[in-house]
Amino acid sequence: MIYLDNAATSYPKPSSVYEAMDHFARHHLANPGRAGHKMALTAEHTLDNARHRLNRFFNGRSPERWIFTLNGTDALNIAIKGVLRDGDHVVTTNVEHNSVSRPLVALAEAGRITLTRVSADGVGWVDPAAIEAAMTSRTRLVVVTHASNVVGTIQPITEIGRLVRSRDALFLVDAAQTAGVVSIDVQAMCIDLLAFPGHKGLLGPTGTGALYVGPRAEAIIRPWREGGTGGDSSSPTQPRELPYYLEGGTPNVLGIAGLIAGLDFVESQGPERLRQHEIALCEKVRHTLSALPGFDVFGPADPAQRVGTLSFRHHSLPAGDLAAILDQSFDIAVRPGLHCAPYIHRHLGTYPEGTVRISPGPFTSENEIDRLLAALQEITTGL
Amino acid sequence: MQTTDPLERYSRQMRLPGIGKAGQERLLASRVTLCGCGALGTVLANALVRAGVGFVRIVDRDFVEPSNLQRQVLFDETDIAENLPKAEAAARKLRQINSTVTIEPIVADINRSNIEDLCHDVDLILDGSDNFELRYLINDLAIKLSKPWVYAGAVGSEGMSMTIVPGQTPCLRCVFEAAPAPGEAGTCETAGVLGPAVGVIANFQAAEALKILSGNLAAINRDLLVLNLWDNIIRRVRIAPLAGRKGKCPCCALRRFEWLEGEHGTQTTTLCGRNAVQVSHRRSSRLDFETLAQSLRTSGSVTYNKFLLKFQLNENGEFYEFTVFPDGRAIIKGTSEPDKARILYARYVGY
Repeated sequence: MIYLDNAATSYPKPSSVYEAMDHFARHHLANPGRAGHKMALTAEHTLDNARHRLNRFFNGRSPERWIFTLNGTDALNIAIKGVLRDGDHVVTTNVEHNSVSRPLVALAEAGRITLTRVSADGVGWVDPAAIEAAMTSRTRLVVVTHASNVVGTIQPITEIGRLVRSRDALFLVDAAQTAGVVSIDVQAMCIDLLAFPGHKGLLGPTGTGALYVGPRAEAIIRPWREGGTGGDSSSPTQPRELPYYLEGGTPNVLGIAGLIAGLDFVESQGPERLRQHEIALCEKVRHTLSALPGFDVFGPADPAQRVGTLSFRHHSLPAGDLAAILDQSFDIAVRPGLHCAPYIHRHLGTYPEGTVRISPGPFTSENEIDRLLAALQEITTGL
Repeated sequence: MQTTDPLERYSRQMRLPGIGKAGQERLLASRVTLCGCGALGTVLANALVRAGVGFVRIVDRDFVEPSNLQRQVLFDETDIAENLPKAEAAARKLRQINSTVTIEPIVADINRSNIEDLCHDVDLILDGSDNFELRYLINDLAIKLSKPWVYAGAVGSEGMSMTIVPGQTPCLRCVFEAAPAPGEAGTCETAGVLGPAVGVIANFQAAEALKILSGNLAAINRDLLVLNLWDNIIRRVRIAPLAGRKGKCPCCALRRFEWLEGEHGTQTTTLCGRNAVQVSHRRSSRLDFETLAQSLRTSGSVTYNKFLLKFQLNENGEFYEFTVFPDGRAIIKGTSEPDKARILYARYVGY
């Protein structure tokens, strides 16, 4: 199998991730913070260490601000539902994934919030001035994805962050496509809430994710999930201290052990080097398909503006059919359709059929990309 | 001040051949982080601020208490009445001493997550701490960032100091590869402390700081200084040959920052609804209960068997109970604050 669906979840993981999880599961898989025995302490140390590592990697204010979640969606939901109050106004974009759009639209449809969706340009880039123009005195939250999961466009997060802060709103960034491949400094970028999965660019297993809660967001966020925290059991409600305030229930410490092994790999390579590898492969596809008859390729032409995700379509072969042939006859895994991001497809004119998306990972080789391109040529010849 | 020349206040110090006007200007432009502001730290801060070190960041997690006044020279009874954090109380006093330098007080427990933030923008790190965990953490960071630091410690009537210049001198781990096990080294609370002993060793540290910051690296002490003011002993132990320990020092030769990476050190766990915090070690050690019991008896009541040691203590009207286990772990009842538990552990078990 040639796996080109790393934007959905990365595969394979570095072997150190499998080894770390196997070792942890066999020797240390106790419930952290609930007992105080040796195994529980090791499990707790794994969690503490992971928070420290994430805090260092993304330059957070302190380790306890990193809340472990089930995935990126869970982190986004904790953030969105935790900070919004009735009557608030929210600004978002049409590049967002459903994990941002659906909770916001549901709140708007229920009459709880008002929502403004700012449109990107033709390559999926959002102008900070458009965000600013959409903000009102009631704007509590601005939610922007760091990079599109469809066309890979990287957004001007620092500029947006600064203007959101100057207007005294909160800034939530969905880093699903960037954590691990684009450097993120939550303090320098004025990010109040950073949500990301652990199983994509950070190379951890599914079932992991995190939410960073900065000081401005901490002041108003409320828990969306409540339960046991391992400490302070006498309190009738969730203890106020982070991370426990937002982290009820047994954490996925096994997954987190794997996530940190993934982060070790990312740090040893460096995010920028990983991104360069992936965009170089995407560039090859873009270059070749642009010269072939019948193909449209989407997203920015400048590789500096994108992550390693590329969307394309063929005039006479629907995306779903093309992906099925690649899978069935060539053993190549790609992602067809709307990629949980219907608004950007409408914007690109690719709705409802969608596009074929390829997303190479750190272990994808140039030879595999060559085989994809040969397959595409073979499939579309004569059409 | 009624003077036109801002350097006039430093005139006596500038007359020293090693300092002069150029050295004084270097001091004024230099930046220091002081880790801990107790007995060592107050003496250090006092000396540096008077000498005109331009920026002094003072980090301490604790509050001023009556038992501090015997030796912690910047504090007075008003600070206790106002229940001031040490960093704040020190800053207030220091600003009266010298309003022309910048003092940045920070009330925080220094740990592996914040130490880099606290020290990345300074020229020198000074050890004013009361525990080995912090000293090894400072050593890791100083070697990693290639910044000089000056170690010192004092307990009883003894003091010890060494100056670490990365790449030039041995580091702390070249000389003492491992931290003493919990309970192994006495603390000011268990063994007591002679005020002048801390004063002498901290002033020695301060002189080293002034040499480094004024550009006089050649003048620093390259030995381990050990003194005992009660027994009238002053010794210099030659440590230069230990530099890098033949390429095997885990820190400065192999660049494995085990304390910064969290392989060593303590962790705290707030225990379910018991107003208690457990302090444990990431690497377990073996405690000698007999020695520990002996050192704790002056502070409170102690009982032990081969499984546990119980120690009850009344400190400033607060009652605490320690249950210590043979691997160094301790459950401290009477607080649910992890920082407070760390302070108590450092004071009484010693780490």
